[in-house]
Amino acid sequence: MQGLLILLFFLLLGTVFQFLFSLPIPASILGMLLLLAALMLRGRIPDSLVQISKTLSPLLPLFLIPVSAGIVTQTTILSEHGLVLLAILTVSLIPGILVCALIMRLWARSS
Amino acid sequence: MTSTLTALLNLPLFWATLTIAAFYVGQQLYRLSNNHVLIPPILTGLLLVVMAIELSQTPFSVYMQGGDYLHQWLGPVVVMLAIPLYQHITTMRQQWLRIILAVTLGSATTVACAMALAYWWIGDDIITRTMATKSITTPVAIAISEQVGGISALASAFVIATGIIGAILIPIVLKVSGVTHAPTIGLTLGVCAHAVGTGRALELGQEQAAYAAMAMTLTATFHAMVLPWLL
Repeated sequence: MQGLLILLFFLLLGTVFQFLFSLPIPASILGMLLLLAALMLRGRIPDSLVQISKTLSPLLPLFLIPVSAGIVTQTTILSEHGLVLLAILTVSLIPGILVCALIMRLWARSS
Repeated sequence: MTSTLTALLNLPLFWATLTIAAFYVGQQLYRLSNNHVLIPPILTGLLLVVMAIELSQTPFSVYMQGGDYLHQWLGPVVVMLAIPLYQHITTMRQQWLRIILAVTLGSATTVACAMALAYWWIGDDIITRTMATKSITTPVAIAISEQVGGISALASAFVIATGIIGAILIPIVLKVSGVTHAPTIGLTLGVCAHAVGTGRALELGQEQAAYAAMAMTLTATFHAMVLPWLL
């Protein structure tokens, strides 16, 4: 319970930050960064947070279903460009993979 | 009878319950298939929900009144990502430069390629904007997509498709390129295939999984801070 309260408190804090400084960054991300800063200051993770994260993490995909179901409103785009979109998503991955591997490898050799 | 059914189909609680049930079926199917990478619970659950909406001809706005019960949890869940980030901060400190470079340049490369291809092949401004969030974990992608004028439902579909394609493609591409270094495999899965990739990394080993979780969170944070200013 306390863990959930902490998460909601930081989410609210993120929303206040976003509003005060009119930032384009999502409030939840600001809340996450503020919580990270708080954890670093404190030096450890409170048990209540560990507990709520164990409860909520397996449910994450469930929370994503409603907004993803909004795909039913995008049938025109999908029937028109569906295959091209799939091809773009597949092809664009390869250069990204190679860049990641290359950077990690260059450093592994030099150090 | 018909009027009862109509009333039920207009009830937010009905759609919330149906969504949870669909996800439960997805979880069971995933377990039965020995955690097969092609049928993550979210995909099965999503297909069942979409079928229910289509078959009952329910307007999406009516569905979403119930779906919103679950949707509202995304905020606290994104805040929760601070926990894995904090847990891996010691590993990161030792090799922060190469990790930061790999995460920023790697994710920027795949996103830039996707946006360029979408611009050339389709030429639709909104689809191109929506492509920008394709390699970030879904809850963050949705938040950013709403912020930069993309379509959040489409963003979510791109992210889920990228995750599944990446989880299959990344280990193959790395194997062909002769990469066996566990941190590299984990980091690449996290950067390019977010949570689905992290799940795949978990099957490969603990070290891969730790790097994947960290890379996924860093990628999401980096993109959340940069994309809204660029687009």
